[in-house]
Amino acid sequence: MNALIIKALAFAAVLIIATLVVVKQMHIDLSDPINLLTMIGAIAIAMLTAGVSAKYIAQMKTDRAGGELAEENWDGIGEYKNELPSGWAYSFLGTLIWAMWYWTVGYPVNAFSQIGQYNEEVKAYNKKFEAVHKNADKETLKQMGESIFLVQCAPCHGTTGDGLSGKAQDFTSRMTKAQVLHVINNGQHQLDFPMGAMPPGMASGKDAEDIAAWIAGGMKGEKPAAFAACASCHGADGKGNNGMAPDLVGYDLTLISHVLEHGKKGIIGRMPSFKTRITPVQEKALAEYIQSLKD
Amino acid sequence: MQSNAALEYDYSVAKLYTYTAILFGFVGMLIGTLIAAQLAFPELNYLFGEYGTFSRLRPLHTNVVIYGFTVSGIFATFYYAAQRVLKVSMAESKFIMFVGKLQFALYLIAATAMVVTELMGITQSKEYAQMEWPLDLLIVVIWVLWGVAMFGLIGIRREKALYISMWYFIACFLGVAMLYLFNNMAVPTYFTSGSLGSIMHSVSMYSGTNDALVQWWWGHNAVAFVFTVPIVGMIYYFLPKESGQAVYSYKLSLLSFWGLMFVYLWAGSHHLLWSTVPDWMQTMGSVFSVVLILPSWGSAINMLLTMKGEWNQLTENPLIKFMVLASTFYMLSTLEGPIQAIKSVNAIAHFTDWIPGHVHDGVLGWVAFMIMAGLFHMAPRMFKREIYSKKLVEAQFWIQTTAVVLYFTSMWIAGITQGMMWRAVDEYGNLMYSFIDTVTVLHPYYAIRALAGVLYVTGFAMFAYNMIKTMTSSRELSEEPQFRSPMA
Amino acid sequence: MFHWLEKRPFFFAVGVFVVIAFAGLIEILPNFAEASRPVEGLRPYTVLELAGKEVYKKDNCIACHSQLIRPFKAETDRYGQYSLSGEYAYDRPFLWGSKRTGPDLHRVGNYRTTDWHENHMWEPTSVVPGSIMPAYKHQFKNIADLETAYAEAVTVKNVFNVPYGDDIKPGKAAWEAYKPKVLAEAKKIAADMKNKDVKDAVAAGKVPEVVALIAYLNSLGSSRYEAKK
Ligand code: HEC
Ligand code: HEC
Ligand code: HEC
Ligand code: HEM
Ligand code: HEM
Ligand SMILES: [Ca+2]
Ligand SMILES: [Ca+2]
Ligand SMILES: [Cu+2]
Repeated sequence: MNALIIKALAFAAVLIIATLVVVKQMHIDLSDPINLLTMIGAIAIAMLTAGVSAKYIAQMKTDRAGGELAEENWDGIGEYKNELPSGWAYSFLGTLIWAMWYWTVGYPVNAFSQIGQYNEEVKAYNKKFEAVHKNADKETLKQMGESIFLVQCAPCHGTTGDGLSGKAQDFTSRMTKAQVLHVINNGQHQLDFPMGAMPPGMASGKDAEDIAAWIAGGMKGEKPAAFAACASCHGADGKGNNGMAPDLVGYDLTLISHVLEHGKKGIIGRMPSFKTRITPVQEKALAEYIQSLKD
Repeated sequence: MQSNAALEYDYSVAKLYTYTAILFGFVGMLIGTLIAAQLAFPELNYLFGEYGTFSRLRPLHTNVVIYGFTVSGIFATFYYAAQRVLKVSMAESKFIMFVGKLQFALYLIAATAMVVTELMGITQSKEYAQMEWPLDLLIVVIWVLWGVAMFGLIGIRREKALYISMWYFIACFLGVAMLYLFNNMAVPTYFTSGSLGSIMHSVSMYSGTNDALVQWWWGHNAVAFVFTVPIVGMIYYFLPKESGQAVYSYKLSLLSFWGLMFVYLWAGSHHLLWSTVPDWMQTMGSVFSVVLILPSWGSAINMLLTMKGEWNQLTENPLIKFMVLASTFYMLSTLEGPIQAIKSVNAIAHFTDWIPGHVHDGVLGWVAFMIMAGLFHMAPRMFKREIYSKKLVEAQFWIQTTAVVLYFTSMWIAGITQGMMWRAVDEYGNLMYSFIDTVTVLHPYYAIRALAGVLYVTGFAMFAYNMIKTMTSSRELSEEPQFRSPMA
Repeated sequence: MFHWLEKRPFFFAVGVFVVIAFAGLIEILPNFAEASRPVEGLRPYTVLELAGKEVYKKDNCIACHSQLIRPFKAETDRYGQYSLSGEYAYDRPFLWGSKRTGPDLHRVGNYRTTDWHENHMWEPTSVVPGSIMPAYKHQFKNIADLETAYAEAVTVKNVFNVPYGDDIKPGKAAWEAYKPKVLAEAKKIAADMKNKDVKDAVAAGKVPEVVALIAYLNSLGSSRYEAKK
């Protein structure tokens, strides 16, 4: 082969290899059919363009132009009556045949449905991961939770879950004093716990301050007596009375799933609802992960 | 009245558009380089207050390079080459001359208004159709004037049969006229609301999915009838003319032309794959895109074969280099595009940087190379001076070629990586990457692209300098060169 | 035959025109009526949301953001339910975009909130470190053009039969009568915000661009038809 063609193909090969290296570094699964077809497409583009154009350019070195000239001539430009290059003509035919195939078999115009294909994809996905999800242990759930968290929650809660300096809930602790006080003073009714609404004014003045400080401190040290008013719903240990009211100590699954279902507006801001966007397994995983953030 | 005496062609309109092509080319590519740099270094967004953000400048870039640079290039080469292949001078008809000059005056007004309104954020927000309705109307007038000039010249031609380049110019005229009109249909709200609000504002005649269809029927064919058809017209004139070689095959020209005309329009829906337009329409888009490879490659191959046996010209004449490489980049983008139009590949490619990569193979390597080569070829004939510096042309060629290669390789890798990262799932079936992961990973490629931009603009500045010197102070020529353009 | 055409420019031009016009007729027209039908219960954008859409157009967010969720699992996981044609029935122009330098926004109203947008539009890196999105601080100062948005509502109601109420009518007087509704909506958004200048402006009857934009962003998603169910 001609040196020029070899150089051109080598350039194309370098580009392809570079692409593969970068993609592999990002842990891309190239056996996925879409990824695979894309890589094949990329190889075809690089190789064919480099090869074919180099072939014709190489002819500038080796061949001679010739043929029968047409009678006409425009501003000194003539025209040969040469036949079509056969490679070109056959390739044209080739694409027409491919087109018919794509049209009738590949993506039959009368039958293919992209939504149908999507449904198949989801079905296949569910089948593939069913086992993983069913038997996930704590550690697995935590790892799962982390990747979901980074995609779905980190834009608000930060990649470390610290709430980005007060822009959303800080998961490294449960609640601030201000948050608790706000709820005590105003009540709250948005999470749809079995207990229903949290009434305002269950405590006031110094009692409220003490309770809030104690809850914000992680419920350590001496329990303020006035907490009794809260215990009826949240339990003596503040853990929410088996899901009747929110857990005030940690982020248990019940709390997480109520928040994800309904969203929440508090003094920090508004948390959107993730209803229908997060599956039950993912919820469990998120809870597991968020609990692990508390230090 | 066939006469063999050399005609004095009149290049006054061609010259005017040459100036604007140089001006808008430089400005548009400078903005391109700035926005490329902004994606790598976001601090650059704040150089000119609200007018300097990436988002305001991006359509300014596309519009200035398309409607400023490319369209000027098309008009310049048309007003130059049409006279010659039709064998008729503009000077022969006062009317055509007037139309040409009026067209230029209106063009300059429209282009200026385009820059101002876009900076202000007055836009229809449809890609490549951003200009609001008063400007659209002005553009229709400009286009009609072009048609009058074109068919006027054809009407008084001495060369009976139309040369290939003219086929393409006619197609450019008709295609853009039809598509531009339909896509920009809008109702100005001021008149329908009892004189409320801004007079510039309008609402599109179509909504949602329909609007998308009409938009990409236009958008794709803006590529066809602005970035492809007239540029093919250019290469069919300038390459044989500069090299003195006859076009390799009339048959190939013929099949490529009519094939392109027939197939191109069907392919528009490849911009809407996996969207809410009906499945069958999407499939049509994919199918015709792939069929389109051959009519496109036909012209490129025809040109490369025209240079058969002319290796010495390729090594010695930098204008030939520009044009041969332009054909090659044309082949690259017209193979890359169709493959990106295959549904499975588009699932990855769409929305990623692989698309701007594909775009710039075409626009930098093909469109801009051809326009610059064309203007270089015209300069010694229009200004009757030799090209100021061959060394500069050579250096420009290599700098810009490096730039295109850097641009497309970086965006190729960036796009494929990003597209695959968006789809990647971890071992538990959850998305592997947050969106921002797929952004930060692109930083090095964005930086490389910005460097490519700097190189390309540098090359363009060399071109501009060389052209200005050619116009003003290069050695004068006593007679018009027949083929190869003389350069010092 | 082709050579014959090449000598007859008029017929040549007609030939080209027929060949290129053909595809449009077959591809575009048949779907027209079908695709303009809204999904059940879809409400049109409010005037404030329309004003926000104008901000979205003016600052050209479409340069980086798509509004089209394709039917792939990876995409529905990230952004939610794939997009339906009928959801776009009141979108003039469509704003699907062609480049995702930033994420898709077709359902961003489902999973982002006013206060988050406020932080993000003021300084994207404050919520998403490493973001390359520009800060849009000027939107907190510039006042949105509500009147033009109202003119748009009037236009689409009268020309395209978009179902707005009878209180959307042409003329200055009708607009003045309608304006308080728009301001009330803006006040609701501003109540969730922290920026003092914005709150003051809204209280004084002037709506900064960012408020309208957030109203628009919040409307993106399923809320415009689910709320009715
Ligand atoms: C009548 C039952 C009841 C009593 C008594 C009660 N709570 Fe609650 N509390 C609830 C319910 C139910 C919720 C969830 C409200 C919702 O749906 O948003 C809640 C929510 C809260 C929250 C918000 C948790 C979160 O994550 O949003 C705090 C803090 C809280 N309670 C603290 C207290 C304190 C302190 C007291 C006593 C001073 C108290 N509660 C008394 C029922 C009660
Ligand atoms: C658009 C921003 C945003 C997103 C996205 C977001 N959150 Fe939140 N989240 C908030 C804000 C703001 C708060 C604080 C609400 C308040 O003021 O109490 C919050 C609070 C919370 C709370 C605490 C509620 C309580 O009662 O104490 C939990 C749990 C939570 N989010 C979980 C999640 C999870 C899990 C995800 C991802 C699936 C998520 N959030 C995504 C903004 C967000
Ligand atoms: C230079 C590109 C760029 C421009 C222009 C841009 N954005 Fe963004 N946008 C991004 C990137 C990158 C992200 C992802 C990182 C982040 O959240 O900041 C993003 C994220 C967002 C998000 C969050 C979506 C999500 O799911 O997390 C919203 C909302 C948004 N942009 C709105 C806008 C609006 C409104 C405009 C125009 C006024 C705009 N953007 C202009 C690049 C851009
Ligand atoms: C056979 C010829 C071609 C085909 C089939 C083709 C196909 C495509 C496809 C599939 C896309 C991407 C759509 C998407 O997923 O977003 C695209 C985008 C684009 N192509 Fe091509 N292409 C061709 C030639 C060219 C040439 C020669 C140029 C320029 C000189 C060009 C310029 C563009 C532009 C500007 C876009 C971007 C449109 C946008 O804004 O999204 N194409 N093309
Ligand atoms: C110095 C040279 C240039 C540089 C650095 C440059 C850079 C850029 C950048 C950064 C973008 C935006 C891509 C994105 O949003 O991710 C862009 C878009 C675009 N540019 Fe350029 N550009 C240059 C020259 C040109 C020229 C000469 C043309 C046309 C003749 C052109 C046509 C376009 C088009 C059509 C788009 C839109 C593509 C799309 O929407 O997909 N550019 N360019
Ligand atoms: Ca327009
Ligand atoms: Ca685009
Ligand atoms: Cu296209």
